[in-house]
Amino acid sequence: MKYSAPVLFALALTACEPPKQEAAAPSAVPAASAPKPVEDRAALKQSVVRINSTLQSWNPSQPWEKNPPGQRRALAPIVGKNQVLTTGELVADATYLEFESTDGTRMLPAKVIAVDFEANLALLGPADDEKGAKFFEGTIPLELAAPPRIGDTVDILQVEENGMPLLTAGSLQSVDVITNFLEGQFFLTFEVKASMQSAASSFSLPVLHQGKLAGLLASYNAKDQLSDVTSTELLARFLQAAKSTPYAGFPSLGINSARTEDPSFRKWLKLSDDQGGLYISNVKKGGAAETAGILKGDVLLSIGEHAIDRRGYYPHPTYGSLFWSHLVRGERSTGEVVSLGILRDGKPLKLEVTLTRSDESKKLVPSYTFNQAPNYVVKGGLIFQELSKPLLEAFGEDWRSRAPLNLIDALENPEKYEARADRIVFLSGVIATPATIGYERLRNLVVKKVNGQEIRDMKSLAEAFKKGTDGLHSIEFEDENLTVQLDEATTSAVDKQLLQRGIPRLSRVK
Amino acid sequence: MSAARFLLAGLFLISSASAQSAPPVEAPAREAPADIYKSVIRIEVASQVPDYSTPWNAGRFSGGIGTGFIIGKNRILTNAHVVSNGRRILLNIYGSPQKYAAKVEFIAHDCDLAILSVEDFTNFEKLPVFTFGEVPQLETQVRVIGYPIGGDRLSVTRGVVSRIDFSAYSHSRADSHLIVQIDAAINPGNSGGPVVQDGKVVGVAFQGLRQADNTGYIIPTPVVKRFLRDIEDGHYDSYAELGLGDFPLFNPAMRKALKLPDDNTGVLITNVTPTGSCDGVIKPGDILMSIDGKQVDSAGMVTIDGEDVDMHEIIERKFAGDKVALRILREGAPKDFEITLKPLSWSRMYAIQYEVKPRYIMFAGLVFQPLDTNLFAASKFDDVTLRRLYGDFVPKGIFQKRPDIVVLTRIESDPLTSQLSDFAGYAIDKINGTEVKDLKHANELLHPKEKPEFFVIELFGAERPLVIPSGEAETATKRVQQAYDIEQLSNLED
Repeated sequence: MKYSAPVLFALALTACEPPKQEAAAPSAVPAASAPKPVEDRAALKQSVVRINSTLQSWNPSQPWEKNPPGQRRALAPIVGKNQVLTTGELVADATYLEFESTDGTRMLPAKVIAVDFEANLALLGPADDEKGAKFFEGTIPLELAAPPRIGDTVDILQVEENGMPLLTAGSLQSVDVITNFLEGQFFLTFEVKASMQSAASSFSLPVLHQGKLAGLLASYNAKDQLSDVTSTELLARFLQAAKSTPYAGFPSLGINSARTEDPSFRKWLKLSDDQGGLYISNVKKGGAAETAGILKGDVLLSIGEHAIDRRGYYPHPTYGSLFWSHLVRGERSTGEVVSLGILRDGKPLKLEVTLTRSDESKKLVPSYTFNQAPNYVVKGGLIFQELSKPLLEAFGEDWRSRAPLNLIDALENPEKYEARADRIVFLSGVIATPATIGYERLRNLVVKKVNGQEIRDMKSLAEAFKKGTDGLHSIEFEDENLTVQLDEATTSAVDKQLLQRGIPRLSRVK
Repeated sequence: MSAARFLLAGLFLISSASAQSAPPVEAPAREAPADIYKSVIRIEVASQVPDYSTPWNAGRFSGGIGTGFIIGKNRILTNAHVVSNGRRILLNIYGSPQKYAAKVEFIAHDCDLAILSVEDFTNFEKLPVFTFGEVPQLETQVRVIGYPIGGDRLSVTRGVVSRIDFSAYSHSRADSHLIVQIDAAINPGNSGGPVVQDGKVVGVAFQGLRQADNTGYIIPTPVVKRFLRDIEDGHYDSYAELGLGDFPLFNPAMRKALKLPDDNTGVLITNVTPTGSCDGVIKPGDILMSIDGKQVDSAGMVTIDGEDVDMHEIIERKFAGDKVALRILREGAPKDFEITLKPLSWSRMYAIQYEVKPRYIMFAGLVFQPLDTNLFAASKFDDVTLRRLYGDFVPKGIFQKRPDIVVLTRIESDPLTSQLSDFAGYAIDKINGTEVKDLKHANELLHPKEKPEFFVIELFGAERPLVIPSGEAETATKRVQQAYDIEQLSNLED
């Protein structure tokens, strides 16, 4: 009776931004102008800085305010002129970023040059160029290493509180396409076995191979002594992409897929024994695959020159079996064209797909909303918000069973709503006020109409409220035969009081 | 607002209770206690609880102790939960070791009451018969008599009536009726025992509250009397339902929009259950003003005998086939309707079922079961679509199209199915392109006269269809049947 997630390796992505980048794959050359390999251990100090980050997320139930701040630290490699590479997680919801020299004597406010939360990478620079030039004087950027092989020894670099570098040798155990930060975002990752100690309370660290930068340690499991290290290939591609503005990011196909190991299923799909193949179980609207004419029910046989096996793996020349998604989100850039081998109704065909990046901010229910203040409207005590995955996750660790079904449904089956809405606007809670008498129990209802206007997003909600009729505002909900009314006069009085009681603003609509 | 009814986990059922009452906080009335005690019966039950996770198995054999009391010739009243799924019921008279075999005459799971009879009533004849009183007043004293845990002999506790309410009956997990809360300890074993005041039964002890002290609940006599009247025709018909969902009309702006005066009357109808008593008559958006001439206030309360009670209390006291007069406002104009009440059997989807054998089909290692609350309680269903089908089953009338939500609950490992274990916990949409209506229909679709090349089973929310080559299905079924010791390949009847 155990249920396991159906779309284990699904890439839930839709495309958006027009490709800004040349089609050719970048070579693995770092952004630095003239980097030199650093061999001497003490000299390594000149190639890294600490980053202190103050993180503050928004309060999911009171979207006008932020949660109490938290702190994170990282040791980050200098990868170019005044440029520092770290994890995306470190800058997610950061309110203040600061460089600190490894000896702890100098600080400098930092800013984000480019960030990719999906790949969990961020490139930082000084907030002030002039001060930055001074701060980084005498530093030596780390050069990118040639990608290490399985079994190679890599060194994890830490700097102790006293400023002494500490190198821990580890072995590259395996290479896998997994996620190390956001659920469902799979990227090429090194698994490094090393026994580490805590130094300067940070496990966000550079990983070196023969004195050059080979990866970024993103998480460390002390029990298994295993670290997830963002791969050299990914660093190279990210640094390349970060040069262009806007940041083009990693592309995606926009499909969900299922394995085809089941022999009965294979017979039905007319797959022969020497074929691999992934069953395409869903094609995202507006994604690269849909644009290229791929259909649900097609079987993906190959990407480029690589055949895909029945579990979704292909043979990588150095790393062995890798999950297919690396061929899209790792080996290729946004805008590149790739040829897909497809089996449709038992007949093979080739389709050319122009890879695009799915723009998270254009999804019906965004799966992350870092550094974005949430949109909301408070009207007479009714709190309206735009649905996002972080809001669902606020229902606790077991949010998938605890969050309201109608909201989870919108996350999992956006196609039901996409034609009539850009965002799910819902009543997230009710502040007890004279205007909301009798409404106190209402929550988690998706708003359909306000004052007769269809609601597509928070902006349309705010506009619809401006159109009061007869001194009353009517609010209709999805799935409920219930029209809730607000009295304009009472509501205005209540809103004034709410402002007096410390709600800084009654709406945020971008 | 909707018919999603998940109940108070904190309530627990007790298995025997007794009570006697006296006027408020003064010396207990002189009664002949010994006489009354004799009619309080100890009930020993051996039960067999069906196993919904392996539906072909016999289930778990267990048992328990409860209390009952004599209310007439060969009629012993107790709680339904005391004798639910009972296989052997033995009774003991106070102070006698002799055990008498009993059987269930009537059982009402929705109000947690049952009537037992013994094969030979001779030795019970001389015992006094309990009579029923009215709902006890707040603050008056009652006695609870029964056979709770903590000893073998009869126990008597005394308490005060703390609250009279309309609240959840935890046995079925789906029903709410009139309830009386007392501060006497009611413990496992008390269930089914009489709660007595002035020598008369004013309630049946039946449940407690785990997270609170001194909180016992009793079934008051209006509920008991209704049950006794319902079974007069030799059959328990259960409660009738209006099948309406409502929303309170406190809010001045809402009243203004609906053009209602500021007089605290009426509730907004938000949902009319398809096929229910009011289907086709009352519409969402109507405002319910009165039931049987009793004015409904804006919180959905009516006044009966000077007491404010939930408006459903009027329906509670009626029977299937009875009429009820509803006055509504529609587009500002009052309209009167006479509704004939009927029970809504579909709403049992949300109640735990007893005395039924789980239905299932085993086909080529795939196990199909119809969704109900028993199955839900025995499984861990995460799939959103399945959970929505369950929640919407009655309010949205899904039962009209699909009398059963058929679920793929298990995949027994077999060469044919070893790759399919991820598909457990999904509801079935179609088999070979045909929408599955119920379990029997699924069985027919899986055993057609002309075998297709493949059985293609489409599941709601799964990443791909399940495919079983029909040529291999039969041998797989046999293999699994033997390996997993499944005597019967299906049970299509309750």
